[in-house]
Amino acid sequence: MSAVTEPSRLATNKPSFVVCEGNEAAAIGVGLSRPDVVAVYPITPQSSLVEHLSQMIADGRLRADLMNVEGEHAVMCGLQGVALAGGRTFTATCGPGLAFMFEPYVRTPGLRLPMVASLVTRDLLSPQCVWGGQQDAMVVRDAGWIQMYCETVQEILDTTVMAYKIAEHRDVMLPINVCHDGNYLSFGVTRVEVPDQQEVDDFLGPPNVNWHIALDPSRPMGVDPLTGGAGGAGPRNFVRYRKGQVRGMQNALRVIREVHAAWGEKFGRYHAPLVEEYRLDDADTALVTIGSMTGAAKDAVDIARDKGEAVGLIKIKTFRPFPLQAMVAALAKVKRIGVVDRSVSFGWNCGPVYQETLGALYHTGKSIPVISFIGGLAGADITVEHFARAIALTRELQWGRDPNEPVWLNEND
Amino acid sequence: MGKCFSTLQFHASRCDGCGDCMTACAQAKAKTDDHAYSRIHILPKIAGEDVELALCRQCADPVCVMNCPSGALTKNADTGVIDWADSKCVNCLLCTAGCAYAGIVYDAEVGHVSKCDQCDGDPACVKACPNEALEYRTAARIFNDYADKEDMFCRGLSACHGCNSELLMRHTMRKVGPEVVMAAPPGCVPGMGAVGYNGQTGSKFPVFHSLLTNTATMLAGVKRQYNRVGRDVLAMTIAGDGGTADAGFQSVSGAAERNDPILFICVDNEGYMNTGMQSSGVTPYGSWTSTTPVGGAMQGKRTEAKNLPIIMTMHNCSYVATASTAFLEDYYAKLTKAIEVAKTGMAYLHVHAPCPTGWRFPSGMTTEVCRMQVRTNFIALWEYDPANGLRFTHPVDRPQPVADYLKMIGKYRHLSEEQVSHIQHTVDDKIAYLRQLTQMAAERRPAPAHKVAVGNTVSA
Amino acid sequence: MHSKYLIVGSSHAALEAATAIRLIDADGALTLLTRDAHLPYSPTILPYVVSGRSQPDNVVLRNQAYFKDNAIAFVPGATVVSLDPARSSLRLASGESWQYDRLLIATGASPMLPKVAGLADVPFHVLRSMDDAIHLRQAMGQARSAIVLGAGLIGMHAAENMAKAKIAVTVVELQPHALAGYFEPKASAIIERTFARNGVTMLMGQTLRSVERQGDGCLATLADGTTITADLLLVCTGVKPNIGFLDGSGIEIDAGILVDDLMRTNLPNIWAAGDVAQARGFWGGKVVNGILPNAVEQGRIAGAGMADDAGVQPFPGAVPLNTYSFFGQQAISVGRSGGPGSEVAEGGSEDSYRHIVLKDGHLVGIATINDFVDAGIMWQLILRGTDLSPVKSEFIANPQLTGRRLMSQIWR
Ligand SMILES: Cc1cc2nc3c(=O)[nH]c(=O)nc-3n(C[C@H](O)[C@H](O)[C@H](O)COP(=O)(O)OP(=O)(O)OC[C@H]3O[C@@H](n4cnc5c(N)ncnc54)[C@H](O)[C@@H]3O)c2cc1C
Ligand code: SF4
Repeated sequence: MSAVTEPSRLATNKPSFVVCEGNEAAAIGVGLSRPDVVAVYPITPQSSLVEHLSQMIADGRLRADLMNVEGEHAVMCGLQGVALAGGRTFTATCGPGLAFMFEPYVRTPGLRLPMVASLVTRDLLSPQCVWGGQQDAMVVRDAGWIQMYCETVQEILDTTVMAYKIAEHRDVMLPINVCHDGNYLSFGVTRVEVPDQQEVDDFLGPPNVNWHIALDPSRPMGVDPLTGGAGGAGPRNFVRYRKGQVRGMQNALRVIREVHAAWGEKFGRYHAPLVEEYRLDDADTALVTIGSMTGAAKDAVDIARDKGEAVGLIKIKTFRPFPLQAMVAALAKVKRIGVVDRSVSFGWNCGPVYQETLGALYHTGKSIPVISFIGGLAGADITVEHFARAIALTRELQWGRDPNEPVWLNEND
Repeated sequence: MGKCFSTLQFHASRCDGCGDCMTACAQAKAKTDDHAYSRIHILPKIAGEDVELALCRQCADPVCVMNCPSGALTKNADTGVIDWADSKCVNCLLCTAGCAYAGIVYDAEVGHVSKCDQCDGDPACVKACPNEALEYRTAARIFNDYADKEDMFCRGLSACHGCNSELLMRHTMRKVGPEVVMAAPPGCVPGMGAVGYNGQTGSKFPVFHSLLTNTATMLAGVKRQYNRVGRDVLAMTIAGDGGTADAGFQSVSGAAERNDPILFICVDNEGYMNTGMQSSGVTPYGSWTSTTPVGGAMQGKRTEAKNLPIIMTMHNCSYVATASTAFLEDYYAKLTKAIEVAKTGMAYLHVHAPCPTGWRFPSGMTTEVCRMQVRTNFIALWEYDPANGLRFTHPVDRPQPVADYLKMIGKYRHLSEEQVSHIQHTVDDKIAYLRQLTQMAAERRPAPAHKVAVGNTVSA
Repeated sequence: MHSKYLIVGSSHAALEAATAIRLIDADGALTLLTRDAHLPYSPTILPYVVSGRSQPDNVVLRNQAYFKDNAIAFVPGATVVSLDPARSSLRLASGESWQYDRLLIATGASPMLPKVAGLADVPFHVLRSMDDAIHLRQAMGQARSAIVLGAGLIGMHAAENMAKAKIAVTVVELQPHALAGYFEPKASAIIERTFARNGVTMLMGQTLRSVERQGDGCLATLADGTTITADLLLVCTGVKPNIGFLDGSGIEIDAGILVDDLMRTNLPNIWAAGDVAQARGFWGGKVVNGILPNAVEQGRIAGAGMADDAGVQPFPGAVPLNTYSFFGQQAISVGRSGGPGSEVAEGGSEDSYRHIVLKDGHLVGIATINDFVDAGIMWQLILRGTDLSPVKSEFIANPQLTGRRLMSQIWR
């Protein structure tokens, strides 16, 4: 039986089409994945996502348990309980909510709980703001969660379903944040194709999330006893757990590719799993983007191409684990790069993607010039014009004109 | 395993020799006020000495029974009472030669021997005593019911000597059994190895180290999933007061508001005893702790403890009760209810847990300190549910002065007279407040007939 | 046959020994051999069987279920006829033999028959076994007159029963007073008076010279020449320990089997307890103290020792003790009625009696009639040597209350 059962939309065995915003696309993806429990706490710009889910549950279209809890902290904790008892879970949050969730959030990967949670990315306080930006996601990039950034509304739906398959893969067993940009994707409305429920069921299979760690009287165990400390087996044990976690992350690079390939085969939509190269093969100049900004960036690339400039684009979909090989391969193709971030790295006076791109560049064996662009903070739009400027500035590197500091794209808007 | 039985306990120091018990006994046994018919014999005070008592002790190796040639006396294997059968007795009085305490005596009025039969488990004398000098101790029942059940923890948890929490944990989990998931937020419970160290666990049931802040919610999640798959698993915690009243409070409050079907047991040792005796939100006024020390400018904690169990009642969750390990029967009764309640709604038990290490009293005194908390009304034993309101389960109408309690405990050693009388005053106020609540409960109007679904347990 | 623990007898001493063994050793083979055909009962109950107040099947002290539950082999109808300590074995009248690791002799006592001319030729009764009681009861149904020889407890009980059954009874007693073993003359006098008032002829200080058969009954002639005829003759002139089967066994015997404070005999692995044993007397020497509480206590000690109970407490010494109801009145006697260096305090009224014996502030004995004192407490005060000097006057004025207070204090 279908989990999302509204007849008009999803009762047939064929894919159907709907026009919806990104948050609803995520909700549809969640519904198709049949979670056992959905825990919600509203926060802008995530709210409509959990509202859609709540309505689906209220209507009986999604046969999940709805936990209305008192805050994001509780959201994550409740779901940890569900997962340890064997249930598939979902939630979504962003910005300050993620900050409040932090304590249990950082614990989830260590428990190797394969949860899926949407991060409807939002800038962090202060200054006070309620709009999109990727600062929240970037702050937790080393919390141990897998991060996949979506470019389109369709990709949100597809990635949400795929995320369960990836997270629950035995070689991975890690939680995943499916990130989509607050405002631009969360509220951006497009036509999306909704896959057939049966097909999704076949694709995902039943959840098996606590085979390795469980709170289950039929398999009594002490979950997360104190580990570490100086001397004895403590440090050794701790290292064993940590290395396992890191290994899971590295395995994910393979599994993400496999799952994306399988998805393409089954549903006909191929999304670049780790890194997308756009018009890159004969390019000497490339932009590096992440998330929904990529659409405008591609337009700007097309315009540049029309002008005869050898410009391409590298889009990062999977930022954690960092797709080193794919990035090295892409970066090796070009001579100069402009990296566009929607967040900042306070310590390095640049954007975090820029910083990590530099790290990948080291592995190419080449030293090429790179500019850090920072834009789209707190809901600001990065327009085609902004990208055209970024391309122009990046191309100027060939003449040795390096700004030597980040370029703040919306500074003079 | 052997059987234990209920006993009548006599507190000589509380007895003023009024003889009301004898009247009650004579009434119960012979419908007269004549003390000659009483089977309990209060032996009047003589100068400078306590009142004494002659009463059948229902011995385990009763010589009266051995001495009886007729088979009239038998030790009842179920009740432990030494039963006397009129139909067999030949009045030889040999039984009286077997008793060193005049527990069975010749009663000239009735013309045969007579002895206490504990009124079939409801002794009239105990109820009649105005001074609580007689106590019918039925705690043996606990042994009978639970001694054969498995201890759910390994031997040798590393709790401090005299630790009350370990006692509570072992009792609780023995009763709860294996169909459980237990959370232990940071504190003494995991500290003593209940969850374990380095891959080894101290428990025989599923247990996890929750966060200080999330215990209730995480349990709610566990319970959700088991409800979904139709398995009857109790989700519960034994948490410290920090994980309940302070950092843990939001989670507890949220779960209570949602009436999540979990059992939350707070072991209130009045501070962060596991990490070196720091003050918490339920540390009582005047307490020395390592963060409310005693010095020239500060004499222990300067603010009052928050009344967490009362706050919990304000959530309207299914069941709230306070308990003390010195009153284990009371605790078991509440635990039994709580386990049942936790199938559908939240049950909250607040167990007061004096800590010999952190409070500075000898480890052999723990239970005595627990008892004194109740006897002085420093804590009150009560229970609450939304339908019936609040009621005392062990009312103490004539409490001892709180000073008697305070002086047992090192953390109060520095208290000035003013501080002590301040504490007495707050204790009185607290009891008065609780009394008002019990009054309200007694006067409350009956609940409307219609039923509203309560509890956030809707499941597909 | 072999049993780890072998007990001869099935009465008080035997039963308490078995209980004590089972407290320590739950399954070591344990056997009770008894010559009696009945389930265990107390000889003390027999007067009430005689009177009809108790039914034989309603006075059973242990039933088959008990033996089954406690894995005890109960073997009735097994009369032991000899003991071979070298082989650790017993022989039964049936010829069967039993081996033991540890043996308890708890064979009690049997009636002692006086040397009275013609006794062997007349039908007479004794009272020690259930069968005796049943026969006596039957005989009483026919009899209109009776002679009870001996005014000890058994004789007095029987005489009362007979009087109540409207039989003309004469009690003949050698001693100047009834119950001389327990009461001093004043008390005995009260008791005798009560009997006389109830129609019993009390012939105290009289010797029976001869008896001869007369019809179904007998004719008795006293030393002073008085003759009495009666339909029924009951002989209650004391008891003797059942030790005949020990002849040649090498076991040390005086008035009974000599035992130490742990009820051990001189032979290895053999204990004795109860009416058959001669143990420490509280005031010195070794005595046979043929009373039920004594059998109970000695049985317990013997059983504990047999099972190697580390907590076994030595026998503190025998104290005479009796509680005696007659015609609705109560007589209680604990300890001695006098003795060198003791002081006596007497009390009581017309129909009551109190006799307290103290020595150096310690209780030596107390006897009362119609003035209830707790025999158990008095016994303990004697055994513990409780110093009564601080409460002496209170004790003399109110021994019951003072004794109870003292024991209550000790308890706490
Ligand atoms: C009528 C009567 C009234 C009494 N009243 C009182 C009283 O009021 N107060 C009081 O304190 N005491 C009283 N007594 C005494 C009391 O009953 C005894 O002291 C007590 O029974 C002693 O117990 P015992 O176990 O030592 O021996 P007994 O009770 O004599 O039992 C001996 C056991 O050994 C068995 N036995 C004996 N010989 C053999 C053998 N060769 N082989 C196998 N088995 C054998 C018998 O069958 C019996 O089971 C009374 C006794 C009688 C007879
Ligand atoms: S008075 Fe009654 S109960 Fe007591 S020993 Fe005698 S027969 Fe037994």
